[in-house]
Amino acid sequence: MNSTFRLIRRFIKILLFSVAGMFLLNVILFLIFSYRGVSNAGGWEAAKKLSIELQKTDSGYFLSKSGQDILTERQAWAILIEDGTGNVIWKSDNLPDNIPLHYTAAEISYCTRGYIADFPTVTASHGDDLIIVGYPKKMYWKHMTPTFDYELIAHVPQMFLIFLGVNLLVVFLIYWISVSGIIRSVKPIVTGIGELPEGKNVYVKEKGLLSDLASAINRVSEKLMCQERELKKKERARADWISGVSHDIRTPLSMVMGYAGQMEEDLELSEKNRKKAAIIRQQSIRMKNLVNDLNLASKLEYHMQPIHPQPVNLVAVARQCVVDYMNLGFDSQYPISWETRENLTACVIEGDKELLRRAVSNLMDNSITHNPNGCHITVSVTETQKNFCIFVEDDGQGVTEEKLDAIKHTPHYMMSDNGIKEPRHGLGLLIVQQIVTAHKGKVMFAHGKKGGFSVQLCFSKVTSE
Amino acid sequence: MELTFLTHKKILLVDDEKEILNMVSSFLKEDGFSEIQTAETVTQALTILKEWKPDFAILDVMLPDGDGFSLLKQMRNYTQIPVLFLTARGEDEDRLNGLGLGADDYLVKPFLPKELLLRTEIILRRYYKEENPLVQLADSKIDFERAQVWKQGKKLPLTAKEYDILQALYRNAGRIVTIDQLCEAAWGENPYGYENSLMAHIRRIREKIEENPSKPVSLITVKGLGYKLVLR
Repeated sequence: MNSTFRLIRRFIKILLFSVAGMFLLNVILFLIFSYRGVSNAGGWEAAKKLSIELQKTDSGYFLSKSGQDILTERQAWAILIEDGTGNVIWKSDNLPDNIPLHYTAAEISYCTRGYIADFPTVTASHGDDLIIVGYPKKMYWKHMTPTFDYELIAHVPQMFLIFLGVNLLVVFLIYWISVSGIIRSVKPIVTGIGELPEGKNVYVKEKGLLSDLASAINRVSEKLMCQERELKKKERARADWISGVSHDIRTPLSMVMGYAGQMEEDLELSEKNRKKAAIIRQQSIRMKNLVNDLNLASKLEYHMQPIHPQPVNLVAVARQCVVDYMNLGFDSQYPISWETRENLTACVIEGDKELLRRAVSNLMDNSITHNPNGCHITVSVTETQKNFCIFVEDDGQGVTEEKLDAIKHTPHYMMSDNGIKEPRHGLGLLIVQQIVTAHKGKVMFAHGKKGGFSVQLCFSKVTSE
Repeated sequence: MELTFLTHKKILLVDDEKEILNMVSSFLKEDGFSEIQTAETVTQALTILKEWKPDFAILDVMLPDGDGFSLLKQMRNYTQIPVLFLTARGEDEDRLNGLGLGADDYLVKPFLPKELLLRTEIILRRYYKEENPLVQLADSKIDFERAQVWKQGKKLPLTAKEYDILQALYRNAGRIVTIDQLCEAAWGENPYGYENSLMAHIRRIREKIEENPSKPVSLITVKGLGYKLVLR
């Protein structure tokens, strides 16, 4: 729409400039040509000169040599009419036969303005007498009624402006009619191209001046839609595949986990074997978490995890995660402390409670997984001016500077597109990031104050737009 | 299993994997449950339900001749026994579907045997509490049916809020229940700003159930997080 408008504006500008230019050019041309005409129209001048060159002598009138030249140069003839009588008292030698030799006042008045026998004539006074010079018939065209209304002449400048205005209007009309047809066919194409990057299904009617372009746009749109469908299909297939695998692995894993758990508590087994069973159980829990994480991560990645936003109290979410851990009885090896200000009771955002809970418990899982020798986990919720933040921090072995940098900046292997890479960190943190991003929040990884690993999840207070 | 009266409850297990059936029934037996029957198909399950009349059912979702959801719908025509889904289908929609049909719990495989037993126990206790109306605490007994507490031979009535809070604690006895869960139990969904009221109610509950309310042994505070009810 905008570009069409710009196009029209530019065309009109060009048009206005060219009309003004043409007008100026014509004025100049007119001046040049009429100037030549004026200098040529020395008919009257020649008559004046002739009057000077004609001398009255005792033997009659005598035309000097230069006077003769004036006449021959122009192939003109001349007569001298006497004042009062109207008789021709002198004539040039080449006077045509059909020129009368006597003139009435009316005839003189006529020939002054016009012609004698179709010869264009001009006059000049010679004392009280009158010289008439006749030129060849095709030499001059004479304006017989050389008077204009005074008003007309007085308003010439305005007239020019009106002319200019009317001309402009007509030109603009012509332009508009011719261009609106083009615009009509260009506009849908411009709109179509504008909509292409928005991923809409674009269809432009394939008719008119630019039907080729229109059909090309339609083909491009079709191709884009097709590619997007393919991509979605592939993503869906990938997510479905992951979900299928994670489903199928659950039943066998139940058995591993179940029996290992049972053996762990079987007092008939030796201490050593019970420890082995405990390891099997722990590892199968890891596998279970991995399977769950893989499934959720792929769903979040391909936007197949529905998010159900509702008012969620972040304090309640974090508190529940901490209590769930305590209720599992991990306390002895992984003591957890809750360090939230007592009067901070409601930090409500719009969000998906289950997913947020998952994010926080993933962080706690992360601390436990990376610190097999135990660590102290601290969970807290704080309120800043703009954000609510959940901190999960441990005092375990922590991460090196390079590892921290990698966690912050390198994409996860699930999302990297340059071939198979070494997994840089577990799916747990990826999911945390995905969940927080889905809630328009921010994740910040850092070294813990007591040497371990620290993660901060911040959510904007104003989430309802 | 602390509550022996529950171990006589009849439990039906339905799963298409024989191995899972064996494993789960061995867990339950070890935990003291004696009356267990298993079924591998919907048809078998329906027959057992009609003839044996179990008190509790653990159902899988995917079965060779149907699915657990429709099985639950069918059995609801003639029995209201509690049901727990134990399935590999972990999607939210499945879980919501199952719970929406009136299942009491939904546990996704793989699971820890301890977790299954705990959940079973919680469900059974909730359903069949009337058979054991008195909950034994260190210094008192709670009679949920009459909403009262017996302490040193004295009968102390519970208010509605105190009852709700104690119920929530009892259902998760031995485990921490968060402040938010307790507020939700007493004041409904999204309860913000009831923390102080909750503290007041807890204080009054302690006065009723504890020998020395300032040194509680049954209703224990977990600072900043919640409370825990310890049974005798």
